[in-house]
Amino acid sequence: MGAPEKTTTSNNNSMQRVKVYRLNDDGKWDDQGTGHVTIDYLERSEDLGLFVIDEEDNETLLVHRICSDDIYRKQEDTIISWRDPEYSSELALSFQETTGCSYIWDHVCNVQRNLHFNTLSNETYHGANSELRELPEVELSTLPSILKVVVDSSITDQLCVTELILHDQKFFRKLMDLFRVCEDLENYDGLHIIYKIVRGIILLNSPQIFEKIFSDELIMDIVGCLEYDPDVPHVHHRDILKKHVFKEAIPIKDPLALSKIHQTYRINYLKDVVLPRVLDESTVASLNSIIHSNNGMVVTLLKDDSTFIKELFTRLKSPSIAPDSKMNLVYFLQEFCNLSKSLQMVQQLRLLRDLVNEGMFEVIGDILQSEDKKLMLTGTDILMLSMTQDPSLLRSYVSRQEGSSLIGLLVKGMLKDFGDDMHCQFLEIIRSLLDTYSPAGQRDAIVDVFYERHLDQLLDVITSSCPPVHKSTDSNGSFQNQTSAKPEILLNIYDLLCFCVLQHPYKIKTKFLLSGVTEKVLSLTCRKEKYLVVAAIRFIRTLVSLKDEQVMNHMAKNNLLKPIVDVFIGNGSRYNLLNSAVLELFEYIRKENLKILVIYVVEAFWEELVKFDSLPSIQSLKVRYDQAMEQATNQSGPYALTARRRVDERALDKEEEDYFNEDSDEEDSASASMPRTTRIRAQPTLSNGSSSSPRAGGLVDYEDDDDDEDYKPPPRTKPLKQEDDEASIEFRLKRKISASKQDPDFVKKRLVGKNPKSKESVFATLCSTLSQAVLPSKNTTNAPNNSQDPKEQDKGDTGPNKDTEPDKNSIVAGPEVAINGS
Amino acid sequence: MSDLDRQIEQLKNCEPLKESEVKALCLKAMEILVEESNVQRVDAPVTICGDIHGQFYDMKELFKVGGDCPKTNYLFLGDFVDRGFYSVETFLLLLALKVRYPDRITLIRGNHESRQITQVYGFYDECLRKYGSVNVWRYCTDIFDYLSLSALIENKIFSVHGGLSPNINTLDQIRTIDRKQEVPHDGAMCDLLWSDPEDIVDGWGLSPRGAGFLFGGSVVTSFNHTNNIDYICRAHQLVMEGFKWMFNNQIVTVWSAPNYCYRCGNVAAILELDENLNKQFRVFKAAPQESRGAPAKRPPPDYFL
Repeated sequence: MGAPEKTTTSNNNSMQRVKVYRLNDDGKWDDQGTGHVTIDYLERSEDLGLFVIDEEDNETLLVHRICSDDIYRKQEDTIISWRDPEYSSELALSFQETTGCSYIWDHVCNVQRNLHFNTLSNETYHGANSELRELPEVELSTLPSILKVVVDSSITDQLCVTELILHDQKFFRKLMDLFRVCEDLENYDGLHIIYKIVRGIILLNSPQIFEKIFSDELIMDIVGCLEYDPDVPHVHHRDILKKHVFKEAIPIKDPLALSKIHQTYRINYLKDVVLPRVLDESTVASLNSIIHSNNGMVVTLLKDDSTFIKELFTRLKSPSIAPDSKMNLVYFLQEFCNLSKSLQMVQQLRLLRDLVNEGMFEVIGDILQSEDKKLMLTGTDILMLSMTQDPSLLRSYVSRQEGSSLIGLLVKGMLKDFGDDMHCQFLEIIRSLLDTYSPAGQRDAIVDVFYERHLDQLLDVITSSCPPVHKSTDSNGSFQNQTSAKPEILLNIYDLLCFCVLQHPYKIKTKFLLSGVTEKVLSLTCRKEKYLVVAAIRFIRTLVSLKDEQVMNHMAKNNLLKPIVDVFIGNGSRYNLLNSAVLELFEYIRKENLKILVIYVVEAFWEELVKFDSLPSIQSLKVRYDQAMEQATNQSGPYALTARRRVDERALDKEEEDYFNEDSDEEDSASASMPRTTRIRAQPTLSNGSSSSPRAGGLVDYEDDDDDEDYKPPPRTKPLKQEDDEASIEFRLKRKISASKQDPDFVKKRLVGKNPKSKESVFATLCSTLSQAVLPSKNTTNAPNNSQDPKEQDKGDTGPNKDTEPDKNSIVAGPEVAINGS
Repeated sequence: MSDLDRQIEQLKNCEPLKESEVKALCLKAMEILVEESNVQRVDAPVTICGDIHGQFYDMKELFKVGGDCPKTNYLFLGDFVDRGFYSVETFLLLLALKVRYPDRITLIRGNHESRQITQVYGFYDECLRKYGSVNVWRYCTDIFDYLSLSALIENKIFSVHGGLSPNINTLDQIRTIDRKQEVPHDGAMCDLLWSDPEDIVDGWGLSPRGAGFLFGGSVVTSFNHTNNIDYICRAHQLVMEGFKWMFNNQIVTVWSAPNYCYRCGNVAAILELDENLNKQFRVFKAAPQESRGAPAKRPPPDYFL
């Protein structure tokens, strides 16, 4: 890209087509062949020569060093002849076109002049060790020399050329005059050379030259020159530029601002449309920096004009404004915000704050209630921009009373059918409003509003998009079609729900465990679009990754994995994304040893899953289950132990109570990202109490019981029954929904094992299993996003130590140090 | 002519689609890709192509050399985007072909088909530049999550973008990856897309790329033996000659971006397999300057600032 070319013009140029003749001993002219003539440097020399390259086989027909002696003759406007001292014979070039002949003739004369000049003033002409003293006069005949000077210079010479061009005040004006003449005369060869000269000058990458050629007087002619790239079809860039309309939402009076606005647009056009393949990286960087500083200047000029901003917002807020002008004002505001990125950070933030103080968010809130989808999307884009610059402004706005309705508008926008238009921005903004990086005070207010007022909206869209079978057979059969949301909207909802699970595990827990949200979410498994089914599986997988025993017990108790297993079974042996997603879920449950779920899945679904036990994941899940059962039966021995266990439980319940009291609501989200060693240790306890306690009354009424239990320490009474412990595995397998009844006991036994007081060997063994089960979760909970199988269990197999790998941040820049690192 | 056929024609002229068309195309692609497996079965004859990296006109050369889709069956080994000037057009054309001829063209995921990487190496900026917003980037990167991770040709040739993973001994183990996610920073899925074979390493080594591993000849031998395959075909590394065999013809790198980054001076190659899996490499050069039309990018027709 951008490699300087030789001065030769294109080979298929009829202007340069010549026949080469040589006078033989008989005094006749021998035809040596037909080819194209160029003037170029001779090999390993600073001298210029005439070259003729055969048009058939690209062989060199003729090489002739141009000499300063007066040996050349021009005849009949088409022939140049001379007596060649090296061949010691008479040679002639017969041109197809007269213009070609005069072009080469002029050139030869010019070279001769330079040769004379050289001998007089000791190498003024360009050469490896010489310094350029002046540029050739700008004339049609000297264009090739100018081109040579511009493109063939070494780095030091380039600096010199730049100096010379800048020094010669008339250089560009003359060059542009010549350009217009060539264009009028349709002299394409001249135009092509001028194109190359201008291109070469741009590639000199000099800020001072850019300042000159991008000035109002020159830039359109420069664009004109660049239209004549001999290698691509002619594009009328100037016409296109002239057709582009500069719109003024609010009249801009400052002439400097206006001039910079136009200039920036044209430079952008040059960079993106005219020259993208020509420019090298450093030149692109220079152009970008000009654009950047122009933008900064324009924004500064406008923002410092206080009447301008005032007028902008007065008009934006005016109720009587015509829709068209309103649209333009909003577009303007969007571009204005966009350009403000060119300001320094401090100024950016100050400007944004000023705009917000003028009422920008109110204006956008207003826009979001409009009927015009395009307007809505533009308004959302402005919010996005403000979010990326300083998220705290929007957060603090929506966390206040008067701004909270904006969250609702965003949720509505996310759920709105925008037809063909994309509208991912809504989801993006909502996510960033809800994420945990914001200061706790603001965030809590926003999160509360979101969960109280809007989560149900999302869920309603899901349920109405796939009503349960028995409802859809109701009298009004059109129900489904009318309310069903577009799949892309449903995908967005899933995205947001998964995000919520990871960001606010506690919120989602209260919400989800209380009102049976998960069931609603899972209703999408009946949609025909398989990617929605996969999204539902993903949601469950995200929930499971919390490894929260309360959630897992809830899943088991309410048989929430049934729809998942159903679609898995229904999918049969097809190996697709759905199949892989479910298998991965099972693998995760097994590898993390989530016993509640291991037991639940196997006991509830083994009859169906057994058909798939050729799959290793299914097989090993059953193995894990059998192991768990075996351990359970091993411990259900002496009665004395049970008594002791009860005492231990008490102690642990106390721990659990403390845990609950500590972990108050406002720390919810923080706990998602902090190392959870303490929490993990507490978890088995938690499962112990919370899972078994609902069961106490739960046998009668699960739902109500759950409602009351969520945040309170569970009651101490343990409905432990000896029979449970002694229940045979066979018996367990028969029971499905009640699967969760077994595991609390099991967990208790594990806890007993954890108790350092118990020295029994059975427990010692159990201890080791436990540590294995619990420890890996420390890593995975720290990175809730990384839902890839944690490798902890398999670490023995992996040769290199992954821990020494660069962290997540370094990966962005790290992976592709070398260019071949694709 | 259907909308889709018209869009394919338009894309072949290097003109990007409208945002609304991209959205519709992506939703259709999602339905097709969700049915594919992590190790997608591919029948011979098929032509295997390596990295493209947004070099649209060079990809047109590729189709000139290899034949048009659907007359020729294609397997693309990922890295469609980033670095070149035409990531949008390149990826959308391949995706449109996939939707039009789902059984004739297979696209698997490369390490550049990722949100994180495309934000650094060009695709993100290109979308922003060409569409004025990043919505198209979001849709495309969502599609990336659905792309298959590898392919198996006639049970004999395992194809993947990067290479092997210490977590994967058998092809069956790839099945339990839930691929619908951003490329993780480690683990089997990451390794398949990031690893490189390396002459010096025997066994596994740390990769200088910061993700994936280096793996040596013994690893390849035992993988090929365990899974009863003839050789592994992968991309991911620039090779000046377009293709390169390693470890006694047990693994081959195919690279399909000639004059990579418009300045590396390399030639590119595709690997043609006939119905009997006979191999023929076709080497090609970058598209000549003249064959490239004026860039399709146009700034908005009106401007405020």
